[in-house]
Amino acid sequence: MEASRWLRVVALASVLVLGMAACGEGEPAQPEAEQGATIIHGTTDPWQSFDPAGSYDLPSWNIIQNVMETLVTIEPGGDTPVPQLAESCDYDDPQTYTCTLRQGVTFHDGSAFGADDVKFSFDRNIGIEDPEGASSLLASLEEVEVVDDSTVTFHLGAADSTWPFILTTAAAAIVPSDTYSETEVQSDQNVIGTGRYSVAEFRPGEQLVLEAYEDYWGDPPANSRVIVQLFDQSSALKLAVEQGEVDIAYRNLTATEIEDLRGQEGLEVIEGNGTEIRYLVFNVEEEPFDELAVRKAIAMTIDRQAIAENVYNGTVEPLYSMNPVGLAGHIDAFADEYGETPDVEGATQVLEDAGLDVPLDLEIWWTPSHYGDLSADEYTEIQRSLEESGLFNVTLESTEWDAYTEAAFTGQYPAYQLGWFPDYPDADNYLASFYSSDTFLANGYSNREVDDLIATEKASTDQAERVAAFEEIQRIAAEDVPIVPIWQGAQVAAVREGITGVEETFDPSFVFRYWLVGKAA
Amino acid sequence: MIGPPIRRGRLAGIRRVFAPIGEARGLPRWVLWAGIAITVLFVLLAFLAPLVSPYDFDQYRLADGSRFTKQAPPSSDHLFGTNVMSTDVLSRVIYGSRTALSVVVIAVVFSMSIGVPLGLVSGYFGGKLDRILLLFMDALFAFPYLLLAIVIAFLLSETIGRGVMTAAIAISVVYVPQYFRVVRNHVISVREEPFVEAARAMGARPRTIIGRYVFFNVVQNVPVIATLNAADAILTLAALGFLGYGIQPTEAAEWGYDIQRAIADAGAGIWWTGLWPGVAIVLLVTGLTLVGEGLNDVLNPVLRRRRTEPVVFPEGPETPQESGLPEEPLNR
Amino acid sequence: MARQTTSLRKYALTRLALALPIVLLLLTMVFLLMRVAPGDPISAALGGRLPAEELERRREAAGYDRPLVVQYVEYLGDVATGDFGTTVSDNRPVMNLIAQNGAATLELTLTAMVLAVLVGVGVGLVSGRFRDTPLDFGGRLFGIVIYAAPIFFLGFLGQLIFGKYLGWLPTSGRASPVVSFELDTPTNLFVLDAIIAGDWSALGDILRHLILPATTLGLVIGGVFTRLVRVNVLQTLQGDYVEAARARGLPERNVVFRHAFKNALVPVVTVMGLQFALLLSGAVLTEQTFNWPGLGSELIRYLDNRDYIAVQGIITFVALVVVAISVLIDFVNAWVDPRVRY
Repeated sequence: MEASRWLRVVALASVLVLGMAACGEGEPAQPEAEQGATIIHGTTDPWQSFDPAGSYDLPSWNIIQNVMETLVTIEPGGDTPVPQLAESCDYDDPQTYTCTLRQGVTFHDGSAFGADDVKFSFDRNIGIEDPEGASSLLASLEEVEVVDDSTVTFHLGAADSTWPFILTTAAAAIVPSDTYSETEVQSDQNVIGTGRYSVAEFRPGEQLVLEAYEDYWGDPPANSRVIVQLFDQSSALKLAVEQGEVDIAYRNLTATEIEDLRGQEGLEVIEGNGTEIRYLVFNVEEEPFDELAVRKAIAMTIDRQAIAENVYNGTVEPLYSMNPVGLAGHIDAFADEYGETPDVEGATQVLEDAGLDVPLDLEIWWTPSHYGDLSADEYTEIQRSLEESGLFNVTLESTEWDAYTEAAFTGQYPAYQLGWFPDYPDADNYLASFYSSDTFLANGYSNREVDDLIATEKASTDQAERVAAFEEIQRIAAEDVPIVPIWQGAQVAAVREGITGVEETFDPSFVFRYWLVGKAA
Repeated sequence: MIGPPIRRGRLAGIRRVFAPIGEARGLPRWVLWAGIAITVLFVLLAFLAPLVSPYDFDQYRLADGSRFTKQAPPSSDHLFGTNVMSTDVLSRVIYGSRTALSVVVIAVVFSMSIGVPLGLVSGYFGGKLDRILLLFMDALFAFPYLLLAIVIAFLLSETIGRGVMTAAIAISVVYVPQYFRVVRNHVISVREEPFVEAARAMGARPRTIIGRYVFFNVVQNVPVIATLNAADAILTLAALGFLGYGIQPTEAAEWGYDIQRAIADAGAGIWWTGLWPGVAIVLLVTGLTLVGEGLNDVLNPVLRRRRTEPVVFPEGPETPQESGLPEEPLNR
Repeated sequence: MARQTTSLRKYALTRLALALPIVLLLLTMVFLLMRVAPGDPISAALGGRLPAEELERRREAAGYDRPLVVQYVEYLGDVATGDFGTTVSDNRPVMNLIAQNGAATLELTLTAMVLAVLVGVGVGLVSGRFRDTPLDFGGRLFGIVIYAAPIFFLGFLGQLIFGKYLGWLPTSGRASPVVSFELDTPTNLFVLDAIIAGDWSALGDILRHLILPATTLGLVIGGVFTRLVRVNVLQTLQGDYVEAARARGLPERNVVFRHAFKNALVPVVTVMGLQFALLLSGAVLTEQTFNWPGLGSELIRYLDNRDYIAVQGIITFVALVVVAISVLIDFVNAWVDPRVRY
């Protein structure tokens, strides 16, 4: 009676459900011909803000570079700025840089682009001065002058030969003066730029959809829509790209997962030649990192090889300077100073000479998702090598990115993990950002000599002079050890067969140019 | 209670309480022993961990410095394989039982020591205190336990840091209402009994009445609740560990945390890092639940079945009748 | 029906009146819990992002420098009017967050509940009917073992088998990215939306994503149902009227199906209500395991970002829902069985 009738209902229902499921089996909705293709990019890296004044992280900046534009930009594979929103730019003198703006450019909301938008964008970025923003990049800027509707002059506080490069970064992206606020970071639901894509939909924590902007002033992109899907775990992302739910899996698959994907049918693993670096920052005003001996000892004990092999399966290289391999002026400063492999005896000696008791208690902070799931393992390795030496007792603490950056960049952490992607392909972007007295790291490091060297290289256009300055900075930095460089790596993505353009955009700039990505029909 | 008379003497009260275990027959007793066996196994593992475990829970290399292979499948060196941090899975499972049991014992003791006295007092005295407490406990009980535990664990970790204590406190708060309710209800029914009335008439103080008469009558329920509570607490601890609000992985091995790391391995077809901790959880929780259920079957008079003699009726004419029976039960 | 039982309406009113103090108590607990957190919600979430004066200005504007009592009263007032505030970390109205992600959780938990009832009741009935036989033993063991298996462990196994080895099912999200974007979702219950839109391939995709999480959660809850249903069946089968039916010589099948089962199932509704808290707890774990964008995963995300306003909003909402469900369950019970009314 009751039970058997129920059984029948259940059976019928299950058949229906399974039937439905079987109907949907197979690939997701098919895109149309190549020109109107939809590209699906899966990632585990969440976005901070799509406002140039409110973010300084790679995923956010990637979106900004696709949705907004800068006056000058770096072409894929290039290394010098070429005009984008500007028609031409030049130095009047070492402290004055003038740009003539392109005509007929419109924002996504239809308003016209003009000089006042340029001035507005820079003024507000500096004015808002969001600690999670990149106003520090604009430190050289003293004033933006609107000469006329299509001419803008940048007055720099000191000679800065890197200014054109800075103008290519997302911090210099142009926003509309009519709609954006002068004092507050713009909501992510209302993003307006002049770029090839406009934001069609944004579901925080889930999905971002970009659609090709019809009235874009330049060439149309190779696809008409990009869906960026956020995944919580890299294992889910891996499965998604295996099953064809996403076309591109970029940031952050683990080394194990990449290994497994390599050689799989229908998939391709693409590696770039970018320079992402990871390092450990010391707050030199907090115990025990205020002791130079402690910092030196740690630099001598960290086992970079172990991390590169055990955690990253050899897909990254040990790094011996905060100016990575591949950029002009690189020297293996830390290797020169301390050797390539850990030197526990030397470290013990250093601590003894300084009269410090071992083992020392260290508190090191790291962040779980922003740099990929392997951060946990990386810092466990660091803890292991430090404790194995018998010199240190390490306590690891972690916080999620949002709260992490707010605490780290206000000097609340004694030692913390950080990574870096180039804003532009020049050593200045690395060395000046980390070692100047007003570094965004807020770690209390200040060295007059270094500041002078930075000023010299910024002002100079002589490559040899700049390289000499870079090398000297790296030497001093290896002696002072406010930061310990750990490893450097390149971009790596897994894409489905038929996806083109990814190799092209995997250049040192680290900008993921969606407009280059096409899908073979 | 029907059964062989209990001898007078010391601990007569306790022995009276546990007498039914010896009398029960059939499945309940078998179930009880199976549960006890599993539980005892894990308790032994927890205590003897350093002796039984092949390696330390965070050991990643041998004394001569050679590292364990990362994510190695089960082999003679590593019976359950190794995980992504090059630590031995079997060792982590064994030490995990130590973590689980220590946290859970603390949590159960906390819950009991708050819930039982509150239930006794509330049930015996009644009145406003009782009503307020009941309301509070009902509210606490109705709320999804994991959300509560997560928020408490998180807030505590901000203040006293992450550790065994934080986890134990977060878990114990969630279970207090259970003890409270059961004890309170039982006290309410017991306090009307004649012997309690008599004690009151004799002028005994409430403390004596509760302590000597009421408590032993009521305590019979507590072991069952405690065991089922412990089983649940292990699941809660594993859940907290899985979500990242539990014990620091460097402080102790924890099954839930291990499974969280293992989910990433599942995508690469690495099954041993997640399977064994999971099986351990299932076994221990099942064992504890069997003990609880077995105890319940044995102690609960409503469901208890005793050995009975089958009744045989003399032969006679059979008259089956299809009589209309009331659709509503009579004794609900 | 006896004349003495109260009318349904009177019962409903009384029950609602009783719910009020519980709601108040829960809200007070949530309020205090959130104030125990170090710092106030704004400092905690934005902290070093703003210069000190700006931070102070915002704190004043939001009223966090006022005495606790004043904040408490305002909090209650806000809840009453449905104003749960705006999240600090990403400026999103909390109501918005609840509506969107709440629907996702609702879809998951409803489906899981249906599965749980089917599995639990089925196994429980069989188990109780054939007491002390291997069937009963198997049923009981199933109930115990399946509940002992943590949801994330079952999820792990499910992902391993159905995701990796067989490759049949996806292991994260509610739908594939394209469907997720293209489908019009007025109700945010994807299954419903797909049916309304008549988009059958989208429906299939959505169901494929729903199967693993819902089954995982449903099985575990079903395990709890099994034990409860079984106990009810046992108690019912021991009842006098059932003995009477047997004594009259009715075939056992009749006794069991017509009389015992129906009455054994009356409390199922109550049981469903009681399991609601368990369901929500399980939902949090399921959402994390399967990357299901529901309230549970949002709670974790905002908690990790120290966005206490969002956390407070979500927990307040859950507390209200819990009370509402318990009132509803009691009401249904009273409607079905008049003797329950006061």
